[in-house]
Amino acid sequence: MVLKGVSKFFGEVKAVDDVDLQIDEGELFFLLGPSGCGKTTTLRVIAGFYKPDRGSAYFDDRLINDIPPYRRNVGMVFQNYALWPHMTAYDNVIYGLKVRKVPVSERVRRAREALDIVQMREFATRYPNQLSGGQQQRIALARAIVTEPDVLLLDEPLSNLDAKLRIETRREIKRIQRELGTTSIYVTHDQEEALSMADKIAIMNDGRIEQIGAPREIYSKPINSFVAGFIGETNFIEGKVSSIREGDGLMTIAAPSGDEILAGVPHGSFSVGQEVLCSIRPESIHLMDVSPGLPRDQFHEAEIIHLTYYGVIEHYIVRVFGGREVKVTNFNPDVKRRDDGERVLLAFDPEDVDVFPF
Amino acid sequence: MDRDAFIIFLCLMAFFGAFLIFPILYVFRGAFFEGGRFTLTYFMLMFKDPFYKESIYNSVVIGVFATLVTSLISVPLAYLMVRYEFPGKRLMQGILLVPLVMPPFVGAIGMKQLFARYGSVNLLLMQLNLIRRPIDWFGGGFWGVILMEALHLYPFLYLNLSASLANIDPTLEEQAENMGSSGFHLFRTVTAPLMLPGYLAGSIIVFIWAFTDLGTPLIFEYRKVVPPIIFSMVKDIWVNPMGYALTVLTLVIAVVFVVFSRRYLGRKNYEMMGRGHIVPRIRRVTGWRLPLVYLLLFVMVMGALIPQLSVIITSLAGDWFLTVLPTTWTVDYYRTVFTHSVTVTSIMNSLKFSLASTSIDIVLGVLIGYLLARKKFPGKDLLDSISMLPLSIPGIVIAFGYVAAFSGTALDPFIDPTILLILSYSVRRLPYTVRAAFSGFQQTSVSLEEASSSVGASPVRTMISITGPLIMANVLAGGIISFSAAMMEVSDSMILALREEYYPITKAIYGLNLRLGDGPYVASALGIVGTVLVACCLLAANKLLGKSMGELFRA
Repeated sequence: MVLKGVSKFFGEVKAVDDVDLQIDEGELFFLLGPSGCGKTTTLRVIAGFYKPDRGSAYFDDRLINDIPPYRRNVGMVFQNYALWPHMTAYDNVIYGLKVRKVPVSERVRRAREALDIVQMREFATRYPNQLSGGQQQRIALARAIVTEPDVLLLDEPLSNLDAKLRIETRREIKRIQRELGTTSIYVTHDQEEALSMADKIAIMNDGRIEQIGAPREIYSKPINSFVAGFIGETNFIEGKVSSIREGDGLMTIAAPSGDEILAGVPHGSFSVGQEVLCSIRPESIHLMDVSPGLPRDQFHEAEIIHLTYYGVIEHYIVRVFGGREVKVTNFNPDVKRRDDGERVLLAFDPEDVDVFPF
Repeated sequence: MDRDAFIIFLCLMAFFGAFLIFPILYVFRGAFFEGGRFTLTYFMLMFKDPFYKESIYNSVVIGVFATLVTSLISVPLAYLMVRYEFPGKRLMQGILLVPLVMPPFVGAIGMKQLFARYGSVNLLLMQLNLIRRPIDWFGGGFWGVILMEALHLYPFLYLNLSASLANIDPTLEEQAENMGSSGFHLFRTVTAPLMLPGYLAGSIIVFIWAFTDLGTPLIFEYRKVVPPIIFSMVKDIWVNPMGYALTVLTLVIAVVFVVFSRRYLGRKNYEMMGRGHIVPRIRRVTGWRLPLVYLLLFVMVMGALIPQLSVIITSLAGDWFLTVLPTTWTVDYYRTVFTHSVTVTSIMNSLKFSLASTSIDIVLGVLIGYLLARKKFPGKDLLDSISMLPLSIPGIVIAFGYVAAFSGTALDPFIDPTILLILSYSVRRLPYTVRAAFSGFQQTSVSLEEASSSVGASPVRTMISITGPLIMANVLAGGIISFSAAMMEVSDSMILALREEYYPITKAIYGLNLRLGDGPYVASALGIVGTVLVACCLLAANKLLGKSMGELFRA
């Protein structure tokens, strides 16, 4: 599945802007981005519901721009499931096989198999309004896979489920996708969903693709400040490059407050005096009570403004002397060791500081 | 933009152009041009001649009074029916809609028997020595017309009012109560203003209908109103231009009222933001109030049903001369209805015309509903307005326009009005099917169609097995409404059916009523037969749509 330079406009609005994508056979590929970023539009271009205004879409080497949706052999799971209310679950599933004029005996067998895969065999005779949200979701999935599509498209399939069911269903979808080996494109705005399920993620913003990569790569090596800010939490600190060390390439960055930050991961080439944006993840910052014996530009004095306890983590807002507030995450906080108003030292590894052009 | 949609749009516009716009423009030409030159002579004459002046005045007053009377009936009724719960409420909801089924002019035939100079009511009152001389109940026909219009039309207002009342978010009233308002003050300051859009929508239907109804004044032989004058001028449409002028005036008044109320509605269309669980404010009527409620409803029901009862009595009356009730009863008139050539032909004609017009309405309604709900093309707003336009154009205007525009052509109504009758029926009821189909398409999420497409179904296949079944109930119900309206249609039938072999039921009733002897009795029997047919259709529509049938009668 390949998109080359695909753009789609709605009036003056560029919904999708010059998007290039390549999705490999059998891959579970995620389109992730904030709402309105163009991810659903991209999916609908692939499904054939929208024609791209520019660029082309290919299955293997076949140009599909002008192929109507019903000849594309894609399966689609809609956000609202779009189960036909006048048909039973079984009729919903078997419909695509009837349309394809699959012989009756095979039709029945395949419909049953699909219902088995989603574990909904015993609900086959129910109508959609007699099924719970999770069950409807499964039927929608069965309906999409029963025709053995070349590509499976999932448009925020879990957004209408409650939190617990969502996590269960994630595993379920992943299992089915592995089992069938169907190339799948999954649209979501939920980064946890993307990070936990994807083989590869494309981060979209404003109709453009910002970064494509495996989940770990996207999280730990964001290529720009949008990705760094969108995936996970981070602290952005503006500053100016004050020196670049020979040899190890570490940079010292002067924050407006007068602090110096030692940063190790430049994205692009920088020169002294240039304005930059540093990103440090809250979990990369360590809180200490006594000086760790590090150089002065690797730790900072600060005061705890607010501490929030979440069970598995605790979350601090601290104010670094000089004025800036910083988020810090501490794992496994089994004992309460600090309180609001206390003074602490912050330390972090230069390798955890990403620097982006400002 | 969708090219196919645009081409269909152009075809539809050609249809509306030929059978809606062109006839109206033709009437305008007749009213304002003489020998190719613009003139205001006829219009001036209309306001100078005392007869025309009085008739125009009467028509407007009848419209206003009918609206006032229906308001007096409908506002308390709607409030009672929506806000209170009492035993027998469901039955009442059905009975209150009965007047919709019988055209007022049929009711008028029965009412004339009952309230005539030596009719049942006067005779009864004289026997009881309550009066010496017979009372002229209908004020020479003027009050009779108003009464009949009000008794027939109040359901339109009642339905619109109930809908907007039921739609009021109860928390709005609860908030007002929380701040110390209650009783009539609460009604006046919160409830009534929120009901206003529904009131305006319903009252405009009532006004236009009463203002332009042709049948009722004809039966009461009350000639000093505009519609019967226009009717009488159809015969000399080629020599007397006053018909054109009066038709234009009727249209202008109707349109002014519609535009005025739309303007007002547009500003006052409140969005209700009902959220979460809503407990409707329905109170149970108990104790001493219950008999009061039943008394009120009894009066209402009697009022609503008297016309139908009077027609039934008339249709079954054997000997009935200077007695309160007939002295003998007979079903002879019904036998006549099913054997006499005029009546049988008229029933067949009505069925034929209505089936044809309904088929056109269903096809066009689905097509237009689909374009409006699913497609993007230039002129979409125009298509929307023009397909709803017939709602605000009085039937008499379209009918007169048809005679004027198509006489002497292949469609000449003086020779064979079949096609024009079918077209006028269908154009006028098209808004019902368009609206029904449109809401069907809207309720059917596009993603249901896309899902079908994504598993490989072609658009045609999707239409047949997904969209079709899902909108079917709506479309059928809309079609049935359009069919039953066509079956008992008055003004087009009266004006366009000029020869007996093409008479539909309503014109046959009118013709029979003029006949001496058994005329009114056979006419009543035919009226009852037609009414029963229509009632069956509406019940079927009700079954199909469940509770929402009332919506189809709302503006």
